[in-house]
Amino acid sequence: MGVTVLQPYPMPEGKSGAHIIDYLGKRLLSLGATHAGQFLVDCETFISTPQPHNGTPGRAVHVLHNSEYPASTFSIIDSGTGKQVSLVADSIFDLLMLKMTNTFTSKKQTKIESRGARFEYGDFVIKLGSVTMMEHFKGILIEIEYKSCMILAYCWEMIREMLQGFLNINVGKDFPTYFATQTIMTAMGQQQLHAKHNDLYEPTDTVKQYLEQFTNYRKHVSMHGSLSGTSGIQQPVHMSSSPVMGAAGGLVLIRS
Amino acid sequence: MDKLNCTLTAVKNLRSNVRQCFEHLADGTDGEGVEESRNKFVHDFQEKFGAINSQLREVEQLINGLQVPPTAYSLGNTAYLAQETSQDRQALYPQLVNSYKWIDKVHDHSFLAFNNLNQNTLRRSYNYCSQKRPRLPFSSFNNDPDHIDKLLSEINTPPHTSYRVFRPFGSNAVAIVTISNVLKAAIVFKGVLIEWVTVKGYDEPLEQDDLWAESRYEVFRKVQEHAHSAMLHFFSPTLPDLAVKSYVTWLNSHIKLFLEPCKRCSKYIANGLPPTWRDLRTLEPFHEECRNC
Amino acid sequence: MASVSSARESLSHALNNRFLPNLEYLLQGSILDSAVEHLMHRLKGLCDNVDTSPETFHDLEVCMSLRQPNSNQPLLLRVRRALGRDAPFQMRYLGQPEVDQRRPTLVRSCMDCACTNGILEFLTEMGFRLEFEYIAKGYMFRKGRMKITVSKLIKIIPGKQQDMANEPISQSYIVELSVVAPTGQENVGEEMRVFAEQLKPLVQLDKIDYKRLGSMP
Repeated sequence: MGVTVLQPYPMPEGKSGAHIIDYLGKRLLSLGATHAGQFLVDCETFISTPQPHNGTPGRAVHVLHNSEYPASTFSIIDSGTGKQVSLVADSIFDLLMLKMTNTFTSKKQTKIESRGARFEYGDFVIKLGSVTMMEHFKGILIEIEYKSCMILAYCWEMIREMLQGFLNINVGKDFPTYFATQTIMTAMGQQQLHAKHNDLYEPTDTVKQYLEQFTNYRKHVSMHGSLSGTSGIQQPVHMSSSPVMGAAGGLVLIRS
Repeated sequence: MDKLNCTLTAVKNLRSNVRQCFEHLADGTDGEGVEESRNKFVHDFQEKFGAINSQLREVEQLINGLQVPPTAYSLGNTAYLAQETSQDRQALYPQLVNSYKWIDKVHDHSFLAFNNLNQNTLRRSYNYCSQKRPRLPFSSFNNDPDHIDKLLSEINTPPHTSYRVFRPFGSNAVAIVTISNVLKAAIVFKGVLIEWVTVKGYDEPLEQDDLWAESRYEVFRKVQEHAHSAMLHFFSPTLPDLAVKSYVTWLNSHIKLFLEPCKRCSKYIANGLPPTWRDLRTLEPFHEECRNC
Repeated sequence: MASVSSARESLSHALNNRFLPNLEYLLQGSILDSAVEHLMHRLKGLCDNVDTSPETFHDLEVCMSLRQPNSNQPLLLRVRRALGRDAPFQMRYLGQPEVDQRRPTLVRSCMDCACTNGILEFLTEMGFRLEFEYIAKGYMFRKGRMKITVSKLIKIIPGKQQDMANEPISQSYIVELSVVAPTGQENVGEEMRVFAEQLKPLVQLDKIDYKRLGSMP
């Protein structure tokens, strides 16, 4: 396990997702990476019904799985007040969530996943994931892990070089936003600057980055949906198989 | 029991006499045809023949005096010799063949190893050194535990490096070095000389009961390879303390293993690896491929 | 190329093929402090893991509850944390016990789940509230797939979980014999009954009907 950076791949206009994945895969193979299986990261969100009478705000529990850690379930709770608590548990946690369906209902239409091929190159693991929500293609997420390093600040330049050299993505010198310095509350209730890029990396960090990206895709959908004036949130994407010039670039339906 | 012993001794004597007699016959005479020596030869033979005859009689007498023992003699383990002699049942043969093969292999391998080691100019055995300069005092293999402790504590460590010393093999020390959050290394000492170095990732276990397993990460396997060649480079039986100090300083330069690009090609990655080699004098980082060109 | 199956798929696969242990078979009893030595000797003679000394445990159990709309029973989750040992937190869901007269043991659905140490905060954020907490300290034995615990329950003075001043609830030890097995393994109960039989008359292991206990004053 090591530092992982998740990077959305900018979709060029007029290209289909499958085409780009294919292109990137071939590029990796010809540069010396080896194909090493498949991967899947999925996310399901459960929303609690707000109970105004006792002042409980609506809470969202995000339950994620990562095929790299097949026996674990990752969950992150958004308390609605901006506070996030994360938990790693055995995968049986999924069954426990089902016990709470009275309070927490699954938002089925926002079930989202990133799935695709896994490549290895030295101690690097590169995953080309195509993101789908409700069977609709949303975009491409590239995960790059450097297994032997535990701290992003140490190996960020290496990862950046990989992203630029191998995948031809231009990445700025700054740390990715997820690792940026942020203000946190200490246990004593004081505000403090915290440099996340100096922390020891944990598997939860990978999952949190996925959640961040997934949330972006979902938001994007709801914006797009309301802009195009179709039937709102549930009907967010054009179902056409030809590239559509929309806010999201080419959106193509992919069957996995 | 005594009787049996006497009989056995008599049989033994008889056999040796018969043997002597035949030897005498085989030697023959001096060959010059001198009557005197020929007579002496015949006389000697008759004497010996007579002795054989009398001993044969003695043996016969003794045998006649023997009685069938009432119970079987306890012969200890030798009793088993009579049992299970068939080869198939004992399954000795395959084992024998196996051990023969092994010995053969060991012989072959040790022969090759011997030849190879003889060619190695970096030989570090103490005998070798002491043969060359027999009068130098060798403190290097003196095993003073306090000395090592002192030595390791004297090394002025950068704040990110920690040492943990323990002695799983009697008085010889093992130091586990943790360099920042980058890597862990186990240095196995023999006396003050460094015998072995294992390098592993920060998240990998490196405990005293498993000092030899390789890292699961390619980069640390490569660093370990380089660490071994550096170990040979810094080896100096005459100034062992200095050798250890400079080696540890060299090892500490890995704190920026992932942080520094190669001095020659100014890239971070070559063949999927960061610059794993550190120059022995300047401590500058190089890719393995870049260091010689 | 075979694609990876999602975690949900493999979980339902485990459930459908009945290799996910989700039923707890339970017998309980209690023994006075003065007699517990005899029971320990008996168990040492009967059980598997007694090569050295019996395995000890010292756990803090916190029970959290969530009131759910459209249901009068709150959802209870028990979180166990080993004191003085570094181990993942264990969360356990226990269903309503079935006290079926034909079965030799109490049977209830059960889910065990190892968690990271943020679990209590996580549950609090989900809306769970503390129901009760106690410390269990004692010995654990194993016989085949059966687990036997002999433990002392210790009351907690709020805010002093680690304190030695906490007092035992009673002058006796609770003895529990349990197996967590997948659905459809009916012979478990019989196996347990036979074992419980061997502990008589030191301790009488029985199925305890919680509903009746609840109605007592």
